[in-house]
Amino acid sequence: MTWLKNALQQGVWPWLCAGSVALSLLMLGALLALLLTRGLGHFWPAALTEVTLNSGDVVAGEAVRDMPLPDQSGSERLYFTGNRDLDDARWRWVATDAIARQAQPENLLRLERRTWGDFIGYLEAVEVNGERFTGDDAWQQVQQALSLPTAQRARYQLTLRTPQGQTLRQSLATVISAEAPNAMHLGEKLGAWGSDVWQFLSQGPRAANTGGGVWPAIFGTMLMVIVMSVIVTPFGVLAAIYLNEIAHQGPLTRLVRVGVRNLAGVPSIVYGVFGLGVFVYGIGGSLDEWFFADALPSPTFGTGGLLWASLTLALLTLPVVIVATEEGLARIPDAQREGAVALGATRLEMLTRVVLPMATPAMLTGVILAVARAAGEVAPLMLVGVAKLAPQMPLDGEFPYLHLERKFMHLGYHLFDTAFHGEDVQAAIPLVYATALLLVLIVLVLNLTAILLRHHLRRQRGSEC
Amino acid sequence: MLAPRHVDHATQAPVTHFPADQRCLTIDRFSLAYAGKPALQQLTLQVPRHRVTAFIGPSGCGKSTLLRAINRLHDLNESVSHSGDITLEGQNIHAADMKLTELRRRVGMVFQTPNPFPMSIYENVAFGLRLQKRLAKRQRDDIIEWALTSAALWDEVKDRLHHSAWQLSGGQQQRLVIARTLAVQPDVLLLDEPASALDPISTLKIEELIRNLKSQLTLVLVTHNMQQAARVSDYTAFLQQGELVEYGPTDHVFTNPRLQRTENYITGRMA
Amino acid sequence: MTRARLSSQPLRHLQDRIATALITAGGIGVLLAVLGIGVFLLWEAAPLLLDEELGSLSMLTPLAWGTLKAALMALLFALPLALGAAAYSAFFMSPRLRSRIKPTLEMMEAIPGVVVGFIAGMVLAPWVERHLASTLVVIVWLPLSAGLAGMLWHLASRHWQRRLPLSWAALWLIPWLVAMGMLALWSTPLVEQALWGGDLRRYLYDAFGLDYMTRNALIVGLAMGFAVIPSVYSLAEDALNEVPRPLMEGAQALGASRWQAVIKVALAAAGPGLFSAVMIGAGRAVGETMIVLMASSNTALLSASPFEGMRTMAAAIAIELPEATVGGVTYRMLVLAALVLFLFTFFVNTLAEVVRQRLRRRYQRMGGGA
Repeated sequence: MTWLKNALQQGVWPWLCAGSVALSLLMLGALLALLLTRGLGHFWPAALTEVTLNSGDVVAGEAVRDMPLPDQSGSERLYFTGNRDLDDARWRWVATDAIARQAQPENLLRLERRTWGDFIGYLEAVEVNGERFTGDDAWQQVQQALSLPTAQRARYQLTLRTPQGQTLRQSLATVISAEAPNAMHLGEKLGAWGSDVWQFLSQGPRAANTGGGVWPAIFGTMLMVIVMSVIVTPFGVLAAIYLNEIAHQGPLTRLVRVGVRNLAGVPSIVYGVFGLGVFVYGIGGSLDEWFFADALPSPTFGTGGLLWASLTLALLTLPVVIVATEEGLARIPDAQREGAVALGATRLEMLTRVVLPMATPAMLTGVILAVARAAGEVAPLMLVGVAKLAPQMPLDGEFPYLHLERKFMHLGYHLFDTAFHGEDVQAAIPLVYATALLLVLIVLVLNLTAILLRHHLRRQRGSEC
Repeated sequence: MLAPRHVDHATQAPVTHFPADQRCLTIDRFSLAYAGKPALQQLTLQVPRHRVTAFIGPSGCGKSTLLRAINRLHDLNESVSHSGDITLEGQNIHAADMKLTELRRRVGMVFQTPNPFPMSIYENVAFGLRLQKRLAKRQRDDIIEWALTSAALWDEVKDRLHHSAWQLSGGQQQRLVIARTLAVQPDVLLLDEPASALDPISTLKIEELIRNLKSQLTLVLVTHNMQQAARVSDYTAFLQQGELVEYGPTDHVFTNPRLQRTENYITGRMA
Repeated sequence: MTRARLSSQPLRHLQDRIATALITAGGIGVLLAVLGIGVFLLWEAAPLLLDEELGSLSMLTPLAWGTLKAALMALLFALPLALGAAAYSAFFMSPRLRSRIKPTLEMMEAIPGVVVGFIAGMVLAPWVERHLASTLVVIVWLPLSAGLAGMLWHLASRHWQRRLPLSWAALWLIPWLVAMGMLALWSTPLVEQALWGGDLRRYLYDAFGLDYMTRNALIVGLAMGFAVIPSVYSLAEDALNEVPRPLMEGAQALGASRWQAVIKVALAAAGPGLFSAVMIGAGRAVGETMIVLMASSNTALLSASPFEGMRTMAAAIAIELPEATVGGVTYRMLVLAALVLFLFTFFVNTLAEVVRQRLRRRYQRMGGGA
């Protein structure tokens, strides 16, 4: 055992420490990998399997995952079968031992419909203007007709057959897309994947968040962040200039500086409470009494909305902007200020012509960091104006175009709501992964931009001095 | 040549006096303190017009402080108090009707390390001009060319006026700063150890420039370098611990100092 | 070129004065608004404290308990990892690697809480529920396996020691940890059979009367720990990295090993800095809302079991405040909870800041540091 003693003396401890770095990296990597595979994988057209059970039952759908059976050997497999209008369930667990035959027929279709979610089954026939097509002709007709506008598609009547043998008649107008994934080759699958990703980014949610996309949430997040930046940038910069360039550098200023710095550590929910109490109930309530009295008791500004959410987040991110700008201002050598003043510049001229241009990258860094923080923040928004499903966009063609009092959708809250309060969480989970991935990507890209900007800034300053 | 009159007071530092019409700057019993700690004490001295005057002395003797006081740069710092008068061309610089920005336009200042702004060479020189009355572009271009020529920089930069000033070498940057100051046509140019951060060749160029510039304006030079003071200045003031020890024509001060303290410093027996 | 043309204009000075006044007003206004947060919370919560309705304060007890429990679980998980990682990257890691790893770990902080909470609540929690024994085995085994790697390294030949140096261990330990994690998962049934009679959850219930909830304090600890690691790591690393090098070299010159120098000298010198890092981490853990909301059961329990859920103050505010009537007891109580959170984090952050500044001055006196 001397080697053990030796090893302990020479230090296993550094290895434990190295292990913690490795473990942290591992966790980060695992999180990102999980989001990437699940978030992007969902859009890949998955193969559809038709399974015949020992009992003679037929199940067709997408195999989702395998799980060991509780308390006995063997495993069971979860299939997404769709067809909720016909058999009242979208999911089916099948014990793998009970499977007699499996096949992946090329004519097995998956239709995305406006109501009842997906249909998985076969296309029997298409009737259009009295003509009837069957087999491959029918499939070609459907594919052509899907590029028509919805109104014209109503002429097409589909006759569908489920794997269990039930038939169903459906108008093509209710179908959003149709694919036969088993017949697709790689290129077609890539194309379908791309168009699904695009659909996710550009469309609104459908079927209780189990289908469609997150565009209103992306739009709401962006709009909120923009309104917030418009508020936080001037005030943050103003406060930083005051603290660094104008205020008497005494103990009071130092105290204020520490205070501002510490506000960055105050939990976001506290800002939410402040926003609710002061902006929504206080200011919003008074505005309603003064200007929107006819609409009372239904509140206009006296309830959560875009403006209050932006204001709350502006307050929340104010310390970030102030600290970053101050750092930028402090880095500017006094020689620059003296140089400007010695040429006869007033303080305003010195600030606007020399100091502020030099501090711009730092300010930008601060604003980007603020935006990144605001984009990922959910808790305060739950109090001051986010909505599960906003009936109206906060920006539209109706005067005054930007409706600051309206509620809006937010990516982070959409994620939370879909994952925890959805109707069919199981079916919505893949989209939640995609939403989470999108949110993480947005925030990481913003942060990376800020880091690179700051790095660039330091190098530039470094080479000058 | 000017006719300096030497006055001897047993108790006071030897001081050189100039007739009123030759004085550019008059400093009269000027004292200054940082947060109560005296930095300059009862300083009295006159700077002649169109001459180079050098302030020499050990570190912390107050020579830079005096220079900055002439430009009222201490106004940026709240803990500074002063008494006594400084007069520029007959006008008290602390007078109520003396605008700070106007004073600083008339008294140019060049610092130890070159501090060009992060803009193009052209914009650096135009900076001071743009603060003043609007000029037509032609006029502005003329002034900039004249300023850069006066600073012996025109030939080196005329093809890249719109490049960043930070790409210039240290010596060029310092001459650019001088050109920037000349462009607003000051009466006095204060130079605070303008060559201490430069290599010997750049230093020689700056010194040559200083000698040439005195036909246009009055120069005051603070330097650590005895030889430099001897080479470029017409008059030299020796300061120690915030007091003026000796002031006179440079060759007198260097070859035949009146006081032992001055001689000790100049010959390097006291560093 | 006449001098008169270049005279100053009074307009410029007016502009300057107005701008200075505006900036001053704006700056002071912003600072007052920020101060207003505390004033507002105090104002709204004060009636509750002054009224005879003090009895309703007991409603806060389970929330306070839940907050403490969640924060403690998170710190229990995060502190060893964050401080260990900080010590390694300040003293042992190769500088080239460090310049990449540090920003990467700091990026962890940017991952929104709602995403971490989602993964914890929807992925981690069901998995841990099904594989509780595996989870515990992995948690115990992974640190041991890192130590094992160290021992094996000391036994290995020079050749291997040079190819897998300690300064790059953070990278090449990753596959090792993955392999060891697999090993742990594979061996779990054996361990479970040997130690806990084949079913850990039944064993826990029989032996300790512990119930198991899907979303519980363990999950919250893991998830929130993940969120707290980067801030603690970043501050602790800064503190350790600023320890004057001569101090460390002095200790090593006296015959201490590198690790002994870290423990005896660096930890003592940077102690206040580490303390402030821990404080900041605690502040974050106490106030984090979304992770707790999604990874805990949100039931207000007074239980110490790591396998039961809790409801924290932040989560209670997020859930209940929108429905509370303004001025009602619930409303005031939740505002009081917010006030407590505000005061706690503000106090903790100020303490950390003061300690850090004092430390910096101490380093400067020692003549080293960055």
